[in-house]
Amino acid sequence: MIAAAIGWTAVLLGLASSVVLAVQGLRAQRHPDRVHRGQLRIAVFGMVAGAAVAFLALEMALLTDDFAVSYVAANHARATPLLFTVTSAWSALEGSIVLWVLVLAGFTAAVLRGVRGTGDRLGTGALGVMGLVGVFFFGLVSTVANPFRILAVVPPDGPGPNPLLQNHILVAFHPPLLYVGYVGFTVPFAFAMSALLRGEAGPDWLRRTRRSNLVAWTGLSGGLVLGAWWSYEVLGWGGFWAWDPVENAALVPWLAGTAFIHSAVVQVKRGMLQSWNVLLVIATFALTILGTFLTRSSVVASVHGFTRSAVGPALLGFLLLVLVAGLGLFAVRGHRVVSGSRPESLVSREGAVLVNNVLLALFAFVVLLGTLYPVFVEAFTGAQVSVGRPFFDRMAVPLGFALLLTMAIGPFLPYRLATGRVVADRLRLPVLAASAAAAAVVLAGIRSAAVVVAVFLAVAIVAGSVRELLATAPSRSLRGLLRLVRGRRGYWGGQLAHVGLVLVALSIAVSGALAQRSSASLTPGQSVPFAGYTLTYEGQAQRQLPDRTVLAARFVLRDGDRVVRVAEPRLSTFPNQVQAVAAPSVWTTPRQDVYIALTRLDDQRAAVNLYRYPLMWLLWAAGLLIVLGGAWALGAHLPIPRRLRPATVAGGGPSAADAAPAAAPESAEATVQPASGGQSATQGQVPADA
Amino acid sequence: MREFLTRRGAWLLAAVLLAVAVAGVLAGRDRPTDRAYELEQRLRCPTCQSVSVADSPSDTAAAMRVTVAEQVAAGRSDQEILDYFRARYGFWVLFDPPARGATLLVWVLPVLAVVAAAALLVVAVRRPAPAEPLAEDERARVYAEVRRLAADDGQDEQP
Repeated sequence: MIAAAIGWTAVLLGLASSVVLAVQGLRAQRHPDRVHRGQLRIAVFGMVAGAAVAFLALEMALLTDDFAVSYVAANHARATPLLFTVTSAWSALEGSIVLWVLVLAGFTAAVLRGVRGTGDRLGTGALGVMGLVGVFFFGLVSTVANPFRILAVVPPDGPGPNPLLQNHILVAFHPPLLYVGYVGFTVPFAFAMSALLRGEAGPDWLRRTRRSNLVAWTGLSGGLVLGAWWSYEVLGWGGFWAWDPVENAALVPWLAGTAFIHSAVVQVKRGMLQSWNVLLVIATFALTILGTFLTRSSVVASVHGFTRSAVGPALLGFLLLVLVAGLGLFAVRGHRVVSGSRPESLVSREGAVLVNNVLLALFAFVVLLGTLYPVFVEAFTGAQVSVGRPFFDRMAVPLGFALLLTMAIGPFLPYRLATGRVVADRLRLPVLAASAAAAAVVLAGIRSAAVVVAVFLAVAIVAGSVRELLATAPSRSLRGLLRLVRGRRGYWGGQLAHVGLVLVALSIAVSGALAQRSSASLTPGQSVPFAGYTLTYEGQAQRQLPDRTVLAARFVLRDGDRVVRVAEPRLSTFPNQVQAVAAPSVWTTPRQDVYIALTRLDDQRAAVNLYRYPLMWLLWAAGLLIVLGGAWALGAHLPIPRRLRPATVAGGGPSAADAAPAAAPESAEATVQPASGGQSATQGQVPADA
Repeated sequence: MREFLTRRGAWLLAAVLLAVAVAGVLAGRDRPTDRAYELEQRLRCPTCQSVSVADSPSDTAAAMRVTVAEQVAAGRSDQEILDYFRARYGFWVLFDPPARGATLLVWVLPVLAVVAAAALLVVAVRRPAPAEPLAEDERARVYAEVRRLAADDGQDEQP
């Protein structure tokens, strides 16, 4: 009870602080001398304190089995193990919004650190916009999605979290990582709105948000990979991506965000694609809100669907507000941010980024269309239709292929214009290596077009990166290579992420085309051959745990007479829940994954689906590479020389001095920032890149 | 070897290897496919949340799989089998929305989007106007500036 009172008060504190931050921040942008930085600091502190205390109060209520609190009564049981008690803070709707405001407060504090004084009008405006977003989410928690409601009749026990969320430790990582991704994109959105409000062009807002962009993108990528892994290990339907509406809801902002981080580099280096960047960041942020709406409102039925609540309409309203405000502001002020120049040729680095933007936007559009289409059809005609895997695969495969092709060529093109000779020179060895690999794969017996194409592209990209590494290193020694990748962390982090991405595509192709599947219904002692082994059903075993009953079917895999693996796919039933949860048995070896999913278990027979996925580990390793690539790109921290730092007018020292450095390796060669900060003057540009 | 790997030799070799790969893929096209499995992947399990009949562990899906297998064995065509299920469960059971009526748009819009994207790419790239030759005094100014910057460069601190 105390926890609920403290929690709700903390939420109100956060709400009030957000209001103050919004008002003062936006006021400081227009009249920097009327607001003091200390006021902004107090407001941000209030947000952070409010969110942190609320989150801790929620955890305390869960850990002390305080069933008077509505959230605990709905989502916790006395018998729930410690780990899943802690994670149940975000396993259901209200708690997850508390996590959202906590992450939002964290990012707001990070933005504050870069705002040295109220003379930094870009920064204070951004803080104001982040305050506005905070007002919405804190308001949501304090009204419609309030976890701290006190129940008049206190139940003795509760149903516990959703059974699907009690099965695997991944529940501790997947939602928080996804939220870092979602919420992180609020920062560039806030800076873009602030820049639009000021009517200023230029890459300042991109430089200052580079870190948060990369953190958000890396978090979202990691969250998506973990989600796929969870789907594979826990849900037991044999796959890792179902084009489920909630999966799509996380994929679409990732696609827009990926386009944004690429396009931002071009604007910082060449001053082009400015309108693209503003539109992309508005789209990415709006898509994160839409994604949350789709996940929370169960408007499209899905595995993630939570119960209906008033949060759905509120999120929809906020989404409309964001779109109207963002696009409206762009319509009114957009002419001031339009680039002075456009790419001169598609066959150039900026041309490739433009192609990349268009392809990713197309991809996002198609996935969004397929996800929302049944909703619109049902709304307008009442008929129920499905748009499922066949549609998405048909769209995703050609688009993915085009994107990978762009990835194989684009990063190695020079800026401005690439002649045929230069392109041919740079592609020659990668194409040769890729062709050799494709021929080798075919001669080894693999005839699937998808796999051969994926191998070709993977080798082309890896070979292209290696070629570039050797060609641009200061010396062809380990030391020279290390100097190169440390000196240009953004580029080489990106290359690592590209390699990870193409390996993801390869893994998807291999597990799709070369998988074996069958099903069997076995009596105890009966065997069936599978994947080169003999699978024998030994019998079932029942285990009673404090919070659940586990029914396990014991299978033994033998190679001849030798037992190689004991597999126990299980069915867990929870006392207060109707739905039983099946957990598959996954045996990962370097050659393949052997996946056994129980479909039915009774005293006589056990029915299973059997899958054999070659090289499945590659998917998770490649996902790790993507995250590592993002992390490497984040690590750039060369200081930019004093003469390149933008000055500020009133209320504080040089602004953005330490927020900008990450872009230094790219920007120092490419652009010269005029010393009078922030005016919409054209930038002097030194033609870039060698 | 090094000369061979440069330029034409390398491209020729790459072309040969690619031809081998393409020939291999084309030769392997006539594999017998598991028709029943592919049809099951296109049908939606009525009692689950967005899982296909092929992947669903539920009883309804198991019964539907049996029906599909029987109909495939009886020699009915893909479209006949899909129509059979649609007649019993409604359009909702087909993962592929039909390309007519209300769902025509979901197939048409992506095509339109691709066309729009291609047009955008063509329009977004602008060829620079052909440069006019500079007047003599302008040219002298440019050279003076370049010389001044080159002299300045020695004094700048490098990051």
